[in-house]
Amino acid sequence: MTELMLKYFRDKQQKVESENIYDTQCPYCSMQCKMQLIEQRIVSRKKQKTIGKDNPTSQGRLCVKGMNAHQHALHQDRLKQPMRRIGDEFEPISWEEAYQLITEQFVNIQREDGKDALSVYGSASITNEEAYLLGKFARVALETKHIDYNGRLCMASAATAANLTFGIDRGFTNTLQEIPDTRCIILAGTNIAECQPTIMPYFEKAKENGAYIIAIDPRETRTTELADLHIKNIPGSDIAIANGILKILIDLDLIDHDFIAERTEDFTEVKKYIETINLDDVVKTTGVSLDSLYQTALVFSREPSGMIFTARGIEQQINGTETVRSFLNLLLATGKIGKEASGYGAITGQGNGQGAREHGQKADQLPGYRSIENVADRQYIANVWGIEEQQLPGKGVSAYEMFEKVIAGEITSMFVVCSNPIVSNPNANLIKKALKQLRFLVVSDLFLSETAKLADLVLPATSYLEDEGTVTNVEGRVMLREASYPIQGEAKHDWEILCDIAHQLGKGDYFDFSHAEEIFEELRIATKGGKADYSGITYEKLRQEQGVLWPCPSPDSTGTARLFEKNFAHKNGKAQMAVVPYQSIKNKPRLSKEYPLYLTTGRVMSHYLTGEQTRKSPSLAARDIEAFLEIHPHTAEKYGIEADSLVRVTSAKGWIIVRSRISKAIRKDTVFVPFHWTEKQNVNQLVSDELDPYCRMPGFKMSVVRLSPAN
Amino acid sequence: MKKQHLVMIGNGMAGLRTIEFLLKENSDLYDITIFGSEPYTNYSRIMLSSVLQGEATFADIMLNDWHWYEENNITLYPNETVVQIDSSQQVITTDKERQTSYDKLIIATGSNPFILPLPGNDKDGVMAFRTIDDCKAMFNAAKKHSTATVIGGGLLGLEAARGLLQLNMNVHVVHLADKLLNNQLDTTAAKLLQQTLEQQGMTFHLKKESAEILGDASVKGLRFKDGSIIDTDLVIMAVGIRPNVKLAQSAGLQINRGILVNDYLETNIANIYAVGECVEHRGTVYGLVKPLYEQAEVLAKKLTNNTASYNGSTLYTQLKISGVQLFSVGKMNETSDTKSIYTYDEIGKTYKKVLFEEDKAVGAVLYGDTSLSGKLLDIIQKQKFIPDQKKSTLLQPVKIEESYAAKLPKSEHICTCNSVSKGAIIERVLTNNLRSVNEIKQDTKASSSCGGCKPVVQELLTYMQSDYFHETVKDHRFCTCTVMTEDEVVDAIQKQQLTSFDLIFDHLNWQTTSGCATCQPALHYYLEMFYPERHRNTDFLYVDPKTNGYKEEDGTYTIVPQLYSGKVPIDQLKRISDGLIDYDIAAITLSTDQRIKITGIKKQDVRSLCNALNMTLHSFQPHSLRSIQIPESTLRRDQEKLLSLVEKIESRTEFINFPATMIIKAFCSKQDLSEHLFDLALLQTNGGWELVSNRRILCKTDKEEDIVQLVLAFLQYYRRTANFTEKITQWMERSGIVHIREVLFDDELQQMLREDLYQDQQKRKHSFAHQPQ
Repeated sequence: MTELMLKYFRDKQQKVESENIYDTQCPYCSMQCKMQLIEQRIVSRKKQKTIGKDNPTSQGRLCVKGMNAHQHALHQDRLKQPMRRIGDEFEPISWEEAYQLITEQFVNIQREDGKDALSVYGSASITNEEAYLLGKFARVALETKHIDYNGRLCMASAATAANLTFGIDRGFTNTLQEIPDTRCIILAGTNIAECQPTIMPYFEKAKENGAYIIAIDPRETRTTELADLHIKNIPGSDIAIANGILKILIDLDLIDHDFIAERTEDFTEVKKYIETINLDDVVKTTGVSLDSLYQTALVFSREPSGMIFTARGIEQQINGTETVRSFLNLLLATGKIGKEASGYGAITGQGNGQGAREHGQKADQLPGYRSIENVADRQYIANVWGIEEQQLPGKGVSAYEMFEKVIAGEITSMFVVCSNPIVSNPNANLIKKALKQLRFLVVSDLFLSETAKLADLVLPATSYLEDEGTVTNVEGRVMLREASYPIQGEAKHDWEILCDIAHQLGKGDYFDFSHAEEIFEELRIATKGGKADYSGITYEKLRQEQGVLWPCPSPDSTGTARLFEKNFAHKNGKAQMAVVPYQSIKNKPRLSKEYPLYLTTGRVMSHYLTGEQTRKSPSLAARDIEAFLEIHPHTAEKYGIEADSLVRVTSAKGWIIVRSRISKAIRKDTVFVPFHWTEKQNVNQLVSDELDPYCRMPGFKMSVVRLSPAN
Repeated sequence: MKKQHLVMIGNGMAGLRTIEFLLKENSDLYDITIFGSEPYTNYSRIMLSSVLQGEATFADIMLNDWHWYEENNITLYPNETVVQIDSSQQVITTDKERQTSYDKLIIATGSNPFILPLPGNDKDGVMAFRTIDDCKAMFNAAKKHSTATVIGGGLLGLEAARGLLQLNMNVHVVHLADKLLNNQLDTTAAKLLQQTLEQQGMTFHLKKESAEILGDASVKGLRFKDGSIIDTDLVIMAVGIRPNVKLAQSAGLQINRGILVNDYLETNIANIYAVGECVEHRGTVYGLVKPLYEQAEVLAKKLTNNTASYNGSTLYTQLKISGVQLFSVGKMNETSDTKSIYTYDEIGKTYKKVLFEEDKAVGAVLYGDTSLSGKLLDIIQKQKFIPDQKKSTLLQPVKIEESYAAKLPKSEHICTCNSVSKGAIIERVLTNNLRSVNEIKQDTKASSSCGGCKPVVQELLTYMQSDYFHETVKDHRFCTCTVMTEDEVVDAIQKQQLTSFDLIFDHLNWQTTSGCATCQPALHYYLEMFYPERHRNTDFLYVDPKTNGYKEEDGTYTIVPQLYSGKVPIDQLKRISDGLIDYDIAAITLSTDQRIKITGIKKQDVRSLCNALNMTLHSFQPHSLRSIQIPESTLRRDQEKLLSLVEKIESRTEFINFPATMIIKAFCSKQDLSEHLFDLALLQTNGGWELVSNRRILCKTDKEEDIVQLVLAFLQYYRRTANFTEKITQWMERSGIVHIREVLFDDELQQMLREDLYQDQQKRKHSFAHQPQ
């Protein structure tokens, strides 16, 4: 936090009596900046400060979130012991009592409602060890097929698209260090300046070196300020943009014929479809000028190198997978992948968004990016776990669909780890109803979150300062997060909690771990031969090399910096281009008299996800104390919205009340609300429950709404 | 560790820049020895033409004086030329037969002017233009002679010609090509330049090849190959330079046109490096200062074990001739692959042209107005893609005054991570004379964390360095009695425990004996705040909450009954009126802060009147919180709620002085915010409470007790951090709303502030209670 201006503290603040330094890693975004907590004792006060530490990814930089990350971790509201619900109150209990309660409930519920009545809801903010163990816990200890996680709401489109097109999903196909050397960058639906601030210098450097930057976003943001060309499109029209650009590339013969012939499949089909497109229609659908499309096509093809980055703006759509694939088509058509300074990057949102999607937290997935529906994969993992292949449950349903199953009565109990689904899911009213309907809800968290408030049992988990383990950052670099800060109260690591419960359930033999590194050792074996192969990585190597880019299939491998230099990961070694018609999704939200405006959502720099952590941090809360509605002055006038006044925003799913913030930065047909606040400010209440058919991603970034003043 | 010995041959610009960079990187690595053939310390050779033109003196162009060499422990041997390098023994020998061994050797011998092999080139009056001595020779010659001829219509030749013109000579310029600066200009620009220079007085002889210099011992004339002759007293050879490689050659270094170096400025022999005009890098020999400085930086990094490599430089030209604005870079002449955009104003004599190959600018020339040179150089150097629609905009002026950074309000944060406002950056740049983004980063922390705001910082700096920025540093002295700022004084009062006026004046070297109208009231306020128990206000008579009064200037006393928000219970009103009649007080005053003031009470009557009134009094003081007002328009039921709040805050701030008077109001309707004036407002809403100041919501909460706590902490933080007479709104502007929230949202700090306020209140009250009667 900013140094106090207090004049009268000066004399009192001077003498430092002791100082402790803790190595750690930021708990927030996917940059995973290395940092140190410095704790000083001054007279009667403890004073903390977080500083950056050099590393290959963030090079010692920190943003405002990282600098203040200790504030929530050391907050007085941290849960310090297990608590059980009695009526409307919570009462502290011992861990023994808590475990006993869980065992009783789980056993009863499974006896009465069936094995799959239990469900597990995971997180992309936990370590690889915990993500791995959680998948194993659900399938081996609880024997349920129902496990999924909040990453489904975040990275599913990009992951699925990359798997379909390239045959593998690692966030960045190249290293960050190559960005300054690229000549053209397309930023599609990503506000890196506010979401991953410490990544910005790579892009600033590229621009200083002469790169041409194109940003696609319905709003002007700190990111679009950096761009040479800002394509301010209608939300959700991104496929049409990509297809339009591809059409121009083909029409002007700016494509790389050799690359297409040698390295890709299905270009002929794609070309056939693209030829049916009319560019005038594209202009109409996207609200983007023809000039902009031509400019993008020309610069991206003519410059010797280029990169495309996508994020939630184009991914959190009900055709998110196809949208990402339409942009990957551009890379393949111009041959700008698998080469130095040319490639793709999905800007991962959550801290361990990459690692958490590789090790079996997903309903259809087993560790090492293996498939739960592939017999060989099942056999391999069953062997590693020491169970019969038949004992391994099948594929479950996605995060949001689990709540639908709750409403349908099929799931009657849930174990939520490090997540706040009531705020982060679409159609939040349904989520609340589902959570209340559960027979038994257990939540493990740092705080009594909005979700935890509905729980029957709340378990205190450790924070990033206390919990050692590995995470895999935005590049696909596995990093070891050191943690030696004293544990707060009786809190336990999530992995410890899982092991303890497994013991209670008589499955202790499968969960005999006393240190995170032991779990990692098992994870290495489990991922061996899989796509996300960690088998050559050890804690020692991570310490020595400051992180390793997977795949790292053998002890002597130092990882893989650039993917696809020779082959793509499909069996035939080729990339799969995709025909992605703009009209493929019939039920995308459309403007109507009743709902005349588009609504899109996003982050602000000082907050993170559902705000559960950042709103507790004085320095971060100070920067944004409430949600807001960004609205164009013309639109505000049209709907009678005054500056800084409360506005009711209504969709078919519900309503919220937020304060107006008038700005020309946004399109006239679109409003924006950030998603870090709860209750009546929780914008996800407005989002529909329609999901992407390929990856079950909700369409957070595009709803239709109406506005009215709320006084 | 023992230092290595670094020897440099050459004492010129490229070499010395290398040493400067090296010292900046690490000054502990080397003992440095430099040999220079000239008798001077390092000077700016490129500025010699300015000296000749009378725009600078020799003193002006000295880059490093003797003192600098001394200060940096550099041994300089001026006027001493190295004649031999023994690379096997790592020893050099000079013309004064000095031998010195080296661990690392830098060759920075520069270049020599090329003297045409013409008959008569040894005559008196034939000279080059390269050194201070050449320059001095021209000054002398100009005193004796009237006509000079410069051979060479390139950069150096024209600059020399312009200088000679300045020395009142008739000047001829002879040039082999059909236009001036034929390597740097196209026909149009060359013609404009020629016209301007002719108007200044030069005579040009284009497409002329010199054949012989005429005269006996001294120059009398110049004959061309075509037989024509001009009379002249001086011939200045400015036809180019040749790298000075003789020494290097004899030492066995690989030479082509210059000494061959790789991307790290290493020669083919270990421990020998070369930099500057004597060097050939990837086939190019550079003669302009910028590339040489770029080489210097790379070499310095290399010698201090940092990684950097030199990849060649883009050459550009800027003519230093008074009355001429000229810039050129890259390709100049149209071909079948190029397209150009130009503007040509024959009247205003400005010409601007950019040459494109497809989507890249490959060359540009500017004549008459070179303000776009930075921008054009940048896009050409970086090979920036320029879409067709943007090509024509390149020649439009850059409007830095309309940039984002220029238009941003000063209170807005540029660096979100470290809460650095635009105003703060401006102040530091002005005060500390910061010149680069890096210096701003080190000084203010702006862009030091995530680095995202660096482009905005750069834009702001560019704006501040432009003609559109006019602000200057303000005088921050506390008052005319001291050189210290208010902050420094306040700091000293606490750290040195200065508990009285005398101690302050004495310890802080006050320049007056008893202060001035500015510092007196301020010091009084600060002393009372920091040492509440010591500083008694003798104007205030306090016995207990029901017995007190404030002494007016005329010696009478004023008593103010405690009323909250102007509400007076009827029995209280009756006692007041009875008291007034009994003590023969003619009238009361209703003050703006909704209070009844009973004034004109004689000193001896104060106690007995208080006894008669028998009610809690408001202990009124100059800078105390007068009252928290509730608008009359507030509905009755709402008033009740607000009243309890008001009472809590007022009672917990009683006896406390604030930096300035302030108006606090409590509202139930949002409309009141726009209809009333206030410094701070408490607004009750459907959802709870909001604290509003300066038209911004400071914070919100849903609990009534929280809002009281927040206000008390807020007020105490204001007291403790604002300057004397600084209003709440000014203080918030200065400290930033984010900072104030950071403090208030920190539960521990908030509690500490409230506790602190309570202690202060107790101490104040205690000091009154001991007031002598």
